[in-house]
Amino acid sequence: MIERVKALLRGDAGRLANWLAAPDLRSVAGCLIIILIGSGLYGFTLGLWRAPLQSLYTAVKFPALIFLTCGGNALLNGMLAQILGVGLSFKQTSLAILMSFAIAAIILGGFSPITLFIWYNAPPLASEDAALGHSLMLFAHVCAIAFAGVMANRRLLDLLRRVGGDSRTALVVLLSWLAGNLFLGAQLAWNLRPFIGHPSLAVQFLRDDPLRGNFYEHVWHAIQKVFF
Amino acid sequence: MENQAPPPLQPPQLPRPTRFALEAMPAGKSPLLVIEALLKFPGRIIYELQNNWRADLSGWLLALALFGMAAYGVVVGSFSGGAQMWIAPAKLALGTLFSVLICLPSLYIFAGLAGIDIRLRTVIGVLFAAVALSALLLIGFAPVAWIFSQSTDSIPFMGGLHLILWVIAIGFGLRLIGAMGRLLAGSTGGQMKLWNLIFILVCLQMTTTLRPIIGTADRFLPGEKKFFLTHWFETLRKAGDSKGTQENKGPN
Repeated sequence: MIERVKALLRGDAGRLANWLAAPDLRSVAGCLIIILIGSGLYGFTLGLWRAPLQSLYTAVKFPALIFLTCGGNALLNGMLAQILGVGLSFKQTSLAILMSFAIAAIILGGFSPITLFIWYNAPPLASEDAALGHSLMLFAHVCAIAFAGVMANRRLLDLLRRVGGDSRTALVVLLSWLAGNLFLGAQLAWNLRPFIGHPSLAVQFLRDDPLRGNFYEHVWHAIQKVFF
Repeated sequence: MENQAPPPLQPPQLPRPTRFALEAMPAGKSPLLVIEALLKFPGRIIYELQNNWRADLSGWLLALALFGMAAYGVVVGSFSGGAQMWIAPAKLALGTLFSVLICLPSLYIFAGLAGIDIRLRTVIGVLFAAVALSALLLIGFAPVAWIFSQSTDSIPFMGGLHLILWVIAIGFGLRLIGAMGRLLAGSTGGQMKLWNLIFILVCLQMTTTLRPIIGTADRFLPGEKKFFLTHWFETLRKAGDSKGTQENKGPN
């Protein structure tokens, strides 16, 4: 397992391409376990500022968000890989995407002591500066998740270049996967909220009506409020 | 004793795709082979339709197109639920069929204008293949569309989302028709691009002719004739008027 983690982090395209050439249950299970542990650990630190119970909820929901996004887009991503000519089967596509999420999960898992330290130093919920604490946690997590996402996708691009041969095709496939995953992932994150937990709202596993509301409509309303 | 470093692993070369190579399909014409060829080797479909034409291949392509559209229609109908669960699939499948039939003669003519030496039956098959490919992609989009259809009450939002997903899907389908021109005549020409535009406009108008597909109504078909842009702007205006009081909870 440690060798697998190292190869993923290094972005050892040769070894990753080997796994991808013959996707087996072991490779898939390895990625799933890494995602479960890494993102679960990170999720724990994500919800900790709001309440210990929230951190447990988020530790469950963060890996769930990744799995739901992968599952929801598996068919589409497989089709895109074939149509755009990168030559990966559905199984290989799913494994490649799981690998990139596993890389992100390893990085996030590695960040979790740091975010724990930030939580320790942030103004707590009961203090007068609770709003500052909430913003600080939000900012730290956005930075950590963005970094992990960028690194994971860089590794995935290298892998696609290796197996697809052509740099342009690899980039197009990566961008198409990224667009689909971000689009669905943002909405699923909305449905699975809260993750950090708003200071003025109750600690909950899911909001009362989780399927009501839409991330993009909310963004649009927010833009309207700001500019109009 | 010195530790010898293991030799670097040589990754096996994955098969390089030859997507638009004009070559025969492997033996057997099962639906799965047809789907695989559509996604990975569309050149094979065009070759078969031009050189080894068989009614069953065109039949499979049409069935796949209609089934795919109907399956996506279930997701479209799930926004309103109730009777729309069967009305939306029926309308999407029928609308696709009507659009194909309406545009088929002009595709044959435009192919001729573009200098493509092609039989009518090949044109029929390629058009079915293009629609089947876009229907397949829509099935891939279905989970995304479903999660949004369960999360919003806004008809304009869902309409816009379905439109974007359909445009992406049909874009890949029309690429297949462009490939037909390149493979059989060496170039596609502006004529085929013009036909693509006509086909898209016909499909968009069809959604208005068969409305409502996302929302509900007392009648199966509308009594009033409308241009699709007029219908879209009216829907947007109505939604804007009724939105005022709605509020969303913020993310946290």
